[in-house]
Amino acid sequence: MVRLIIFLIFSAWAVISGIGVITFTNPIYVILWLLSALIAVAGIFFTAGAELVGALQLLIYAVAIAVFYVFVLTAVPWEKAIKKGTHYRMEGVVSLPLVILLYVEMAIVFLLGITASPEGKFRAFIEKFGNTEVVGSILFTKYFFAFEVVSLVLLIGMIGAVLIGRKESQTYENDTR
Amino acid sequence: MKTIPVEAYFVVSMVLFGLGVIGLIARRNLVTVLMSLELALNAVNVAFVGADAHMGLVEGQIFALFVIALAAAEAAVGLGIIIAIFRYRYVESTDEITDMRG
Repeated sequence: MVRLIIFLIFSAWAVISGIGVITFTNPIYVILWLLSALIAVAGIFFTAGAELVGALQLLIYAVAIAVFYVFVLTAVPWEKAIKKGTHYRMEGVVSLPLVILLYVEMAIVFLLGITASPEGKFRAFIEKFGNTEVVGSILFTKYFFAFEVVSLVLLIGMIGAVLIGRKESQTYENDTR
Repeated sequence: MKTIPVEAYFVVSMVLFGLGVIGLIARRNLVTVLMSLELALNAVNVAFVGADAHMGLVEGQIFALFVIALAAAEAAVGLGIIIAIFRYRYVESTDEITDMRG
């Protein structure tokens, strides 16, 4: 019962922060609301018993990626974006039926999926060894190839970011504006 | 152990994902569009971990870790693209980038 109350608190916090992400106009306020939402989602993970994922959510998302966004916000001139309005009003209104349709679709998929979900077979294993050990052992045995592929994807993304953000030597001089 | 129903996780995930989709469609600033994408990815993670806690598996947590890693790569590449767009075109709003020239 206490877990349910804590879960509801974190859920309300996450949803309010999400509303803040899509309504505020200043990008600095938006990154603060996004940080709040990430911390609330980490709380949901802790409540669900996924300590490793919650800790990595706090470490990677709420620290590293958020700081990266703040760094990029210092590099782009966001005064112009504030001055000319930061929302598409018409598209925002038109997107609401689309999102409601998306909700209905997801509800159908979830309800059909829950009725067909099998019983857990790792439950006793988790209660015996603890969450982090089980996640690590299965990650490094059954999903080891996917883990290596993800590391390769991270390496390629890093190289791509360096190549894209590199300062070209006057190549696009006539092409700007 | 199962005081939280799995439907609660899915409701939270659906609401967060819808907010992310609205942000993707309706925001004008490129950086905030990427932030809305991060919100949608977090909603997917909530659904993964919730279903994981319901079914007693650990695959959901592993997939959530993969989603976090891929979101980090996506943020690096996307923000690099934003910086490149600003450097070459001096715009950062989505309605001023109407062609893929250059």
